[in-house]
Amino acid sequence: MTQKIFRSIMAAAGAVLIASLVIIMGGLYRYFSSVQEKQLEDELSLAVIAVEKIGQEYLEDLQSDQYRFTWVSENGDVRYDTQSDEESMENHGDREEIRQAFQSREGKSLRYSSTLLEKTLYCARRLEDGSVLRISVRSVTIWVLVLGMMQPILIVIAAALVLSGILAGRISEHIMEPLNSLDLEKPLDNDTYEELAPLLKRINKQHRQIEMQLRELQRKNDEFAQITRGMTEGLVLLNEKNIILNINPAALKLFHTKESCIGEDFLTVERSLNVNRGIQEAFSKGHSEISMEREGKEYQLHINRIESNGSLIGAVVLAFDRTEAAFAERNRREFTANVSHELKTPLQSIMGSAELMESGLVKPEDMAHFVKRIRTETERLVTLIDDIIRLSQLDEGGDMLFENIDVYEAASEVTAGLADMAAARNIKITLTGETVWVKGVRRLLTEILFNLCDNAVKYNKDGGTVEVSVNRQGTEAVISVKDSGIGIPPEHQARIFERFYRVDKSRSKESGGTGLGLSIVKHAAEYLDGKIDLHSSPGEGTAVQVTLKISSPQAI
Amino acid sequence: MRSRFDEQLATLNQELTQMGAMCEEAIAAASKALTTGDGKLTDKVLSLDGEINRMERAIETLCLKLLLQQQPVARDLRQISAALKMITDMERIGTQAADIGEIIAFMDGRTGAECQQIRFMADAASQMVTESIDAFVKKDVILAGTAIGRDDVVDDLFLQVKSSLIKLIAEKPADGGYALDLLMIAKYFERIGDHAVNIAEWVAFSVTGEHKK
Repeated sequence: MTQKIFRSIMAAAGAVLIASLVIIMGGLYRYFSSVQEKQLEDELSLAVIAVEKIGQEYLEDLQSDQYRFTWVSENGDVRYDTQSDEESMENHGDREEIRQAFQSREGKSLRYSSTLLEKTLYCARRLEDGSVLRISVRSVTIWVLVLGMMQPILIVIAAALVLSGILAGRISEHIMEPLNSLDLEKPLDNDTYEELAPLLKRINKQHRQIEMQLRELQRKNDEFAQITRGMTEGLVLLNEKNIILNINPAALKLFHTKESCIGEDFLTVERSLNVNRGIQEAFSKGHSEISMEREGKEYQLHINRIESNGSLIGAVVLAFDRTEAAFAERNRREFTANVSHELKTPLQSIMGSAELMESGLVKPEDMAHFVKRIRTETERLVTLIDDIIRLSQLDEGGDMLFENIDVYEAASEVTAGLADMAAARNIKITLTGETVWVKGVRRLLTEILFNLCDNAVKYNKDGGTVEVSVNRQGTEAVISVKDSGIGIPPEHQARIFERFYRVDKSRSKESGGTGLGLSIVKHAAEYLDGKIDLHSSPGEGTAVQVTLKISSPQAI
Repeated sequence: MRSRFDEQLATLNQELTQMGAMCEEAIAAASKALTTGDGKLTDKVLSLDGEINRMERAIETLCLKLLLQQQPVARDLRQISAALKMITDMERIGTQAADIGEIIAFMDGRTGAECQQIRFMADAASQMVTESIDAFVKKDVILAGTAIGRDDVVDDLFLQVKSSLIKLIAEKPADGGYALDLLMIAKYFERIGDHAVNIAEWVAFSVTGEHKK
């Protein structure tokens, strides 16, 4: 900027300088030239008069350094010259000014020296006798003048250079100062040259565009962050160099790292061979799945390559917590194994008895015993299958009829049904409490009560007690079944609600249970939105409490 | 020029981390094989050892290339020379894990109460390796210090194992061979601990420029 201004100023100054030089020099030179010419003519007129009157003596007496007089006779020979010896001078008849004077009395001419540094002005006049008197004066040419002026001209140019340098600096500073102090954040609030207005308007427009794009970007970022933050699955985005681009809180927890790991190599966060091989595989093949264990939990990692226009730009790692799924799978496998085992045992017994009878090895008097065994085993099988069906019904969910049930009444039916079995072992069943209405499925409620009371009798000591109570506590109905039985050791308490789980595996046959009773209770209570609490100590007995929501008073 | 160098340094870091991870895995497999006597695990340790050896060669070549072509100075030079030293220790860890695996394979799946004690040693040693690799990854001098401090635990455990093995030999002279095998295993784990200390010291060196010895 400064340079440009400097150059323009210099050019202007130079042009003005040269123009004025040419004009002044030219004008003055012409003026002086014409003055000189006039003087020359006057001088010649005087000289002509004098020569005509006095003759050659006048010229001989004339003392003049400035003018040179030459008297030429009519045939062109030089009669007299004030500066040279006339004898050595050649014929002047062919000189222009003299020729003119011969012809028309007056003659004039201008001749330059060979170097152009000098010029000679000639004036000639014919005298009365036909001879010609010529006067000449030498003067320097305009170039010599210019050359002579060179020093001051150079000084002026130097001064112009310095001055225009300073001026250019000042001006550009002056021009730039408001530009530099422009507030580009608010382009329209600036008070500056009006020439800048279109630029500022454009900047303002671009500002708005950028702001809008930024907001849009921010919004998308936020959206992405919100979505990933809420995810229970761990999510990690990697670029093609395995650098972490994004990681959500679930993944931060999984890999035990902090948000500061963004921008670092994923290896610094997780370096296990398993995971990194999975990532490499995903990079090369597009997809990989690996499982890994962390603090007793099982995770499944899905790694996918991300491509854009056919080139690899990174990978996304998605980690699922598979602990529960794995647990459920294990449960299912165990259940299948248990069911087949439980079904096979009575069948084996039936088959054995039948085979013995078939081969005729059984004496007629023992026949009844074997038939009885077949019957009891079949009964066991049926109960077992019944239980399984009930459980699978509960598993299926399905809609069951909800009605208002009097829990106390249901309990009294169950206890009455078990009275014979209890009496056989001298066990006393008591039922206390009040009428409480709940909204539920009658069959399930009976199932809960029956299984709890049945267990309480089965796993009791002979001559023990079973206390059943039905009470209302606030908005809840509390069913409590307490026995004085053998109790459940603490290490088993957490597992007794699992299918086929037995505390004492050797006693299962003797007590006749299927190992599904409590499992049914648990599922039924869950279906009825109830809660089960178990308190038990070995040798002292067990108390099971089932809490159900009572029906709203209006429904009763 | 510099960006290429930075890239190469990043590769060096990556490969060192991977090699460290392999060592961790080898020790974990060896110590698991000790308690379960699983033949498959010993095979895994041996194959990991082979990989660790190959990795050592690769990293060595990379380090020498960096030294010759880039002529690094100051921190970069420290990092590369520390890497050169660390891979030697890592390679030793891999080899010792493989040796443990071989002895376990030779023991034919026999385990006992003494193994449990060695298992503690193995856990402590593998934790040391994990900590020293972690210290390298995070450039954490404090963690390197923790790893170095844990060596005393491993040494104490080694002495305990030794005295209980002496007792075993005295009580059942017929089990002398078994006891000596276990002693070798314990010694290897103790050595692994020492190598972990070396790694941690080189980590501290590459960060601070001071090598304590």
